[in-house]
Amino acid sequence: MERKLIVAGIGGQGVIFVTKVLSQAAMARGERVMASENHGMSQRGGSVMSHVKIGGSDAPLIRRGTADALIALDRMEAIRNLPFVRAGGSVCLNSSNGLEPAVMPRLAEMGINVHAFNADARAKELGAPAVANLILLGFAAAHSALGLSVEELKEAVRALGPAKAVEMNLKALDAGAGAEE
Amino acid sequence: MSVQLLLGNDAIALGMVQNGCQVVTAYPGTPSSEILAGVVKFKKKLSRKIYTEWSASEKVAFEVALAASWSGLRSATTMKQVGLNVAADPLFSAAYTGVVGGFVIVPCDDPGPMSSQTEQDSRLFGLIAKVPVLDPSTPAEAMAMVKEALELSERHRVPVILRPTTRVCHAVQSVEVNGSGQEAFAPARPGFKRDPQRWAATPAFRLKLHHELNAKLRAIEDEFEKSPLNSISNSLISNSLIAQRIGGLEIRDWRIGIIASGVAFTTAQEALAELGASAPILKIGTPYPLPRKLVTDFIARCERVLVIEEPDACIELQIPDRTRVSGRLDGTVPNAGELSPEVIMAVLAEALEAGGAPVPPPPDDDSLAAIVQSLKIAPRRPRLCPGCSHRSAFFTVKHTFGPNAIYPGDIGCYTLGTNLRAVDTCVDMGASVTMAAGFYHANRLAGDKRPIVATIGDSTFIHSGIVPLVNAVHTNARFILLILDNHTTAMTGAQPTPANDYVADGDIATKVPIPGLVRACGVKFVRVADPYDQKPFESLLKEAQVFTQSPEGGVAVIIADRPCVLYDRAPVDENPVPVVITEECDGCRYCVEAFECPALILRPDKSRVDIDYRVCVDCGQCIDACYKGFIVPQTEPTKT
Repeated sequence: MERKLIVAGIGGQGVIFVTKVLSQAAMARGERVMASENHGMSQRGGSVMSHVKIGGSDAPLIRRGTADALIALDRMEAIRNLPFVRAGGSVCLNSSNGLEPAVMPRLAEMGINVHAFNADARAKELGAPAVANLILLGFAAAHSALGLSVEELKEAVRALGPAKAVEMNLKALDAGAGAEE
Repeated sequence: MSVQLLLGNDAIALGMVQNGCQVVTAYPGTPSSEILAGVVKFKKKLSRKIYTEWSASEKVAFEVALAASWSGLRSATTMKQVGLNVAADPLFSAAYTGVVGGFVIVPCDDPGPMSSQTEQDSRLFGLIAKVPVLDPSTPAEAMAMVKEALELSERHRVPVILRPTTRVCHAVQSVEVNGSGQEAFAPARPGFKRDPQRWAATPAFRLKLHHELNAKLRAIEDEFEKSPLNSISNSLISNSLIAQRIGGLEIRDWRIGIIASGVAFTTAQEALAELGASAPILKIGTPYPLPRKLVTDFIARCERVLVIEEPDACIELQIPDRTRVSGRLDGTVPNAGELSPEVIMAVLAEALEAGGAPVPPPPDDDSLAAIVQSLKIAPRRPRLCPGCSHRSAFFTVKHTFGPNAIYPGDIGCYTLGTNLRAVDTCVDMGASVTMAAGFYHANRLAGDKRPIVATIGDSTFIHSGIVPLVNAVHTNARFILLILDNHTTAMTGAQPTPANDYVADGDIATKVPIPGLVRACGVKFVRVADPYDQKPFESLLKEAQVFTQSPEGGVAVIIADRPCVLYDRAPVDENPVPVVITEECDGCRYCVEAFECPALILRPDKSRVDIDYRVCVDCGQCIDACYKGFIVPQTEPTKT
């Protein structure tokens, strides 16, 4: 099944690692993967976005209005990148106060589901602020936004390593999967 | 055969290692930097004996690899697109002399531009230097084309350009990798054979070599006419790269045909499939020399032809008869900016409609985009990292010399000094030094003695700052040059410079220290100081300015010496200075604007500034950024 995912955040939040986990999980299932990463200037605290296409064509980028899901580690980046999401798609974001109210009516008309939850707070509880990215990823998987199961993501995390980070990364995926909106 | 997830640049690197490149050189630059790192990674993994080098500049990299090729070894050199400007001199010459071992040049183009000063098209260097060019659409194809390029180079004894763009370099694709990669590619024995009429040709022999090169290009064009790198596919036949040769395709009367290359090809293919439109696409993998017969035959079967390529017109320029051809040259395709899927969809839909083909309207719905746009959320601009010593240097410079001075800047992380208003110009590598001298000489004509403070990084200084410094000293220019020495090439991922004591693969290197280089350029005022010591640094800047104005004075050089905090945290961690912002903070924003640290956050109600301890590195450098004294050292560890 073809799946188009956008991952957005700011430099240092681990957008690229999320992209790697998604790509690895899809490849392990035997799907074709084409993902695009930001490098260079954008990593200096600027906006970072990656596109992940699973089981689709070889074109590297996702056109606006065609993404199945937007996974946003930052609320402002979530809003900025909303136009990528297709009607009937979903948005999973790391935010303590949901999404911008001004966009909600249109999202409802388009049948776009929004799932927000404070992954930063949960990461802090785990004592590892850096794993907010994987917590949000687990959360997105549990809300069926990815077309990949939490179990598949866990397998990818194990495969990617590094060994010393695997345990916490698995914990983070579980914490996100079990989180309430 | 195994399927692996490969970054485009890793795919190119693996192609080089698997196909027997024995010397690979590079100067770092986005989007090319991961290629050499990849070669180091794969040569270690596969136990190959390959000489790898982060060179002092692209010209150096080019020539080191060229000598390997003249010795009969397969070799490669990589750089970003503007790096080929620096290496243009040997490129043009090497096209005439030719090569022995396969020699591939990989300049990586940056449509957008995302991390460059121009959107130039390296394929056009192929045209003016007369060097064949291959243009991959995907990481998998880029890997395969490394082999093609090396073989082509050896068959015709010419250098070959493999030109990927950012969306190939930084795409990650599931790629089928042939074999285990363990098969030994028999390494060649280096054996340079003397032939002065070729390798040291005088102008008379150069003319002969030019004729020879023209003959090679004709033979290569003939070869490209039949090359599987160029193929015709119909968007409705298949959405994959499986394509049919023109001879095997059912010929129809096509109202519109597409000629595409690079990422524009895969994007156009997808867009046509989404539109449900039937149009043949001629994919060109060999943009120079263009297989003109293949292209002309294709055009003859179409009423109109649209050419889509990035970042400029290269294929289109070479089409002999463009009467029925649209593209960049007639404005059908935008002449600047990346060919995003949105742009290609719009261009295709318009072309199909103009060609009378029945096309459903593109499925774009801009209502959500319009709402988001009305919220006016700007993308976050890149900033210097928390704890970056460049910030301390720029803050002190600006504090010392104020708004009246001229601040020529250069290429690197520290171009972000524009945010702190301490960088006024950015031209190219090394231009801070030449521009500073130029401003001095221009101002002097009118007796204008305003301070000029130029900044340049360690890697950039060695790349292109030394000759300008010699020139400035020799011509009696007077300005301050601040060499921001963070002990690495930080912007592109911490590649070593000649001032480091290690090389690309970690082996021990001979250090070439910067202070000695500066003195050797004839500079009489050379000081090394830690920009973290802001007060002494300010005194030093004032002393330097006095020197530039004294009768015996000239260029004053200060080397701001502090390792990049991203790659060497130890000096900060050993002397942490955690800070707090007192209750008195009135939200005046001075620190946020003048110091611009990502860890200083103005509250949304603008009532005060807080420290974001998630990103703060406890450098304590912001204490002086509050002239009211509200940023103070923590008395006890009360981090929240």
